[in-house]
Amino acid sequence: MDLHVFFKALEASAAATAIRDSLLWFPLLEALHVMALAVVFGSIVVVDLRALGLASRSRLFSRVASDTLRWTWMAFVAACVTGALMFITNAEVYAANTFFRVKMLLLLLAGLNMLLFQLTAGRRVAQWDAAPAAPGIGKWAAALSLALWLTIICMGRLIGFTITGAASHEPPPASIDFDDFLSGPPAQ
Amino acid sequence: MQQHQAWFIPAVQTLHIIAIALAVGSVLLVCLRLFGLAAADQSLQQTHARYGSWINSSLWLLLASGALLIVAEPVRELVTFSFWLKMMLVVCVVLLVAAFGRYVRKAAAVDQAITPATRCLAALTLLLLMAIIVLGRLIAYDHVWGSLSPATKA
Repeated sequence: MDLHVFFKALEASAAATAIRDSLLWFPLLEALHVMALAVVFGSIVVVDLRALGLASRSRLFSRVASDTLRWTWMAFVAACVTGALMFITNAEVYAANTFFRVKMLLLLLAGLNMLLFQLTAGRRVAQWDAAPAAPGIGKWAAALSLALWLTIICMGRLIGFTITGAASHEPPPASIDFDDFLSGPPAQ
Repeated sequence: MQQHQAWFIPAVQTLHIIAIALAVGSVLLVCLRLFGLAAADQSLQQTHARYGSWINSSLWLLLASGALLIVAEPVRELVTFSFWLKMMLVVCVVLLVAAFGRYVRKAAAVDQAITPATRCLAALTLLLLMAIIVLGRLIAYDHVWGSLSPATKA
């Protein structure tokens, strides 16, 4: 199927139309997306810092991981759902946006990086669970994870800034001139 | 209107989002401990020792990056209902976090501090952070408040 036709079909779907027609849906989806990413990143940092030996060093790695991972996954699903709902409102424009494309690529890399961690240090976790940091490649994967997620957040903000940012940066009403507040009393 | 480099605002906004993620993550883990959903091997004091400083640091980072955003775009921020409602909730969160930290440090016996009241306060802090995220986003869409928004009154 032609991608162009597919994106147009997404944009014409009932869900996309309802979100576009509503004053509240899109900002609400954005807010839910930020909430979800806050839990995703906030919880991944905890595990990555433990693997790097920078925090929670005296606790078992597996305990720190089990504290957070189910919340990370639930929030990740929420971020995917809210992200997909925002995407379908303007699919073709998002798909053509460089920051969007880079973000999707980085999400894929973050997934592969997680797999790398699981297949290396993760597989032998019983051997180093109490150690202050993950061995060898596990430490590198944790550092890469932090770098990838920070860049993913940055790309996400840039998508909003280059696409929906236009709507949120309308000039303020002419009757409110902030310079009036800054310049002191007008000269008589 | 003032001029700035095109990258400045999205860069500070990104920093602001990273800081709120750190705040939410840290408050979430303290909440999970209080509700018995995480770190069962740790006392509340130990959990708070691990995440308390991250909560404080991320709140400072939020205030600093937020202040930069106000200076960069004062009209966008200050002439909105969302912003002022958000600031009221920010004051509540700062007071709650400070009071909670004091309470945990003062509680002499291990886990004596886990009471229904502290659970409620911690959960309220997390809910307020979520509401702050919503209001932060609504600054860009203040018209959703209708006549409450100063921007639509004009």
